[in-house]
Amino acid sequence: MRQTHPEIAMVTLYKSLQGKSTRVLEKIANSLDQLNEKIDVLIELQKHSRGGIVDESLTDVLDVMTLLSLPDHLRKTAVTLCKLGQATAEEIAEQTRRARAVESGYLNQLVLMGYLKKERRGRKAYFYVEKEASGEKPWEK
Amino acid sequence: MGKIVAFHSYKGGTGKTLLSINVAATYAKMDKNICLLDMDFRAPSLQAAFKTEGNGYWLNDYLNGVCEIKRALVDLHNPHGGNGKFFVGLANPSTEAIREMSAKDRKWEMRALGRLLSLRNSLLNDMHLDYVILDTSPGLQYSSINAIVAADVALVVTSLDASDIKGTQRMTHELYDLFEKKTGIVVNKVPAEILCSTAEKEKFFKHVHNIHNLPVLDVIACSCDVLRAGGTCIFAEEKPEHPFTKTLERIAQKIEKF
Repeated sequence: MRQTHPEIAMVTLYKSLQGKSTRVLEKIANSLDQLNEKIDVLIELQKHSRGGIVDESLTDVLDVMTLLSLPDHLRKTAVTLCKLGQATAEEIAEQTRRARAVESGYLNQLVLMGYLKKERRGRKAYFYVEKEASGEKPWEK
Repeated sequence: MGKIVAFHSYKGGTGKTLLSINVAATYAKMDKNICLLDMDFRAPSLQAAFKTEGNGYWLNDYLNGVCEIKRALVDLHNPHGGNGKFFVGLANPSTEAIREMSAKDRKWEMRALGRLLSLRNSLLNDMHLDYVILDTSPGLQYSSINAIVAADVALVVTSLDASDIKGTQRMTHELYDLFEKKTGIVVNKVPAEILCSTAEKEKFFKHVHNIHNLPVLDVIACSCDVLRAGGTCIFAEEKPEHPFTKTLERIAQKIEKF
């Protein structure tokens, strides 16, 4: 039996609504992922700020003595970043084989401790020790 | 991909410089592309060992951000009989430079670490070197720890001195382990009678392994010829059949597989 015009219109409207709702659901899922990531970072920061590991005398300079004084989990992240010069949490996670969200937490903690700097470029956050260490060549100035 | 190897020790006078020069010369003979860097800024010694005046730039200049690493390297044109490249990076031996390097602050040391870490790219990737050998200063100096962090493999040269053994145990546990560094032990200046037979030698290897709980690359018998040469002879080049040269060849091969 052939569909009448109102029926075709209903089907088209239904399909269009279905497409829109899928896109809305995808957006919600993305936002929840981002929120989840931020909560992970906050949990990590809170967890590690209890130990009182911030030593005022060491603030700002990520030299080898500071690296030695860091707890193992942060040292691994910091040494990996020193080796890469600059990196995203994802790039660090590839090297350390730990979860990206965990590395993001550690990197943000190192930023709060004053050892690393963070710069947003588009949607990505890059971490580095110093601009120079991330690729600038002083002898070319 | 090449390797960065650091020769280090707890105490001075264990033979790091002698070993690093001769292991580098051994690799050069094996047609490997080599770069030997003098990281002992408090007591530079490679200039005297290779009898070179340098080229006007020092490793100090590279770490100070004055020049790129290539400018601070002296091309030895491989005098050691192989076809590989042989570069050496010298530390400035002037009293003024030693004094200046001893007075560096922590921020400078942090930048020096960044520059040492970037050697992997400039020397191993860009210049296609097979080995970069770092001859460090003894103990827990900034320059030595920076070199250890930058290296793939750390070789600790020890003697049988009780304080050296204790210090080395502490250092490997409290420094190398924290940086998750691949570490090997070389015992130097061992009295020849301890190594008089294969069975005795094996027993001694086990003893050293039990002390440090680390792989023992080799044990080197005390040699009057080596002492007599006073650091002026590169055994790997000039005395290819000497037992000391043979031991170096074994160490070089073990580093390759490490």
